[in-house]
Amino acid sequence: MTVQEKLIETIVSRYDGEVGMLIPMMQDLQAESGYLPVDQLRRLAARLDTPVSRLYAVATFYASFRLAPKGQHEVTLCVGTVCYLKGAGRISERIQEEFQVEAGGTTPDGLFTFQAVNCVGACALAPVMIVDGQYHDKVTPDSAMEVLRGLPLEQRQEQQETKT
Amino acid sequence: MPTVTIDGIRVEVETGATVLDAARKAGIWIPTLCYHPAVSPPATCRLCMVELDRGDWKQLVTSCNYPVRCDIEVSVSSDRAVAARRGVMQLLLALAPENEQLKALAERMGVEGTPYPTVTTSQRDCILCGLCTAVCDEVLGRSAIAFSGRGPDRAVTTPFRQPAEDCIGCGACAVVCPVGTIRIRMHEQEGEIEISPFKTRAKMLTCEQCGARVTSVPVAEYALNRAQIDWQEFRQLARLCPRCRRKRTAARLTEGRTLAAQAGYVAGTKKAE
Repeated sequence: MTVQEKLIETIVSRYDGEVGMLIPMMQDLQAESGYLPVDQLRRLAARLDTPVSRLYAVATFYASFRLAPKGQHEVTLCVGTVCYLKGAGRISERIQEEFQVEAGGTTPDGLFTFQAVNCVGACALAPVMIVDGQYHDKVTPDSAMEVLRGLPLEQRQEQQETKT
Repeated sequence: MPTVTIDGIRVEVETGATVLDAARKAGIWIPTLCYHPAVSPPATCRLCMVELDRGDWKQLVTSCNYPVRCDIEVSVSSDRAVAARRGVMQLLLALAPENEQLKALAERMGVEGTPYPTVTTSQRDCILCGLCTAVCDEVLGRSAIAFSGRGPDRAVTTPFRQPAEDCIGCGACAVVCPVGTIRIRMHEQEGEIEISPFKTRAKMLTCEQCGARVTSVPVAEYALNRAQIDWQEFRQLARLCPRCRRKRTAARLTEGRTLAAQAGYVAGTKKAE
């Protein structure tokens, strides 16, 4: 049994192989691997005797599931009503343009994963950008660029993958 | 049996039949898209709405899945019902503005275009009714396609948007698609069937006798497994096209009858001929 197979087996047995617990199982898988690898999802589907299409439907329905590896850093931009009115839309455009990243995606170099969310509950500080859990308030396109360009890029991609 | 009064016409239907069944029996046309007798009504298109009279109040219901349990009165042509259906059609037109079949149905309903901004969804030309996914799941038990994403990204896709391993190339999704978006494409040179737009392909089975295309190889295997007939001749017959199969059966029958006639077993041979 490979490491991957073992992981699926552990997760499945944690919930007594109950198909109704699919979402917690997928959450566990993501917690272990950092994302939902395609072959792991296929393995899980086969193990639960459930169509892969159903797992894919769940994985794409919930914003918290990701099908691609996470970047080294996590960048969350609030595009809720207040932040949007304060120019978050322009910040989002600028980030997407400069780093060639789509909302919900990861930059090609794996530097960060960019997510646009609807409200972080800090409207008084709008527009808000959260980088690795740290809140940046009253961001402008320029100040956002400054923060993101300053992010360190480490060569630890391979390590992460072997860990799964 | 309960009586349904539709626009003044009274019809009797069995308990549990739907309002749509009753309307069809009464000869009244209700537009439908996501309804198909082969699957349980998903009632997702909302196009078949009618007004149900509940005495002191009236309610809009989808006729395709509203079961008749007692005597009821419904109106297909009331202002509210017509307006509801037209509104739904306008929304559907916004979802698939260039679809010819949808436009034809809109015309039949007297709906001209849509006032709503037309959206570009990730899967264009699709009204997201879910009939294809229902057939794949309920009838075939394959679930090769399903909805993915949500909101404006919602689309019918194969897992990971790659050719689906679970697809057997039966084409049922293309047959039931009410707007003709899912299509069967034949690749004559490769002898393959493709279900478009899913890019799933399957090899075609060719008739052992005449070389005509019969069905996809996985469908043939699936049918044999499902039928569970372990009879050599049946398996041989399954590899022929329907025409050659008939020919073979006919040949065998005449052969049998000639033999029987020779032996004097069949009394009325002459008469039958």
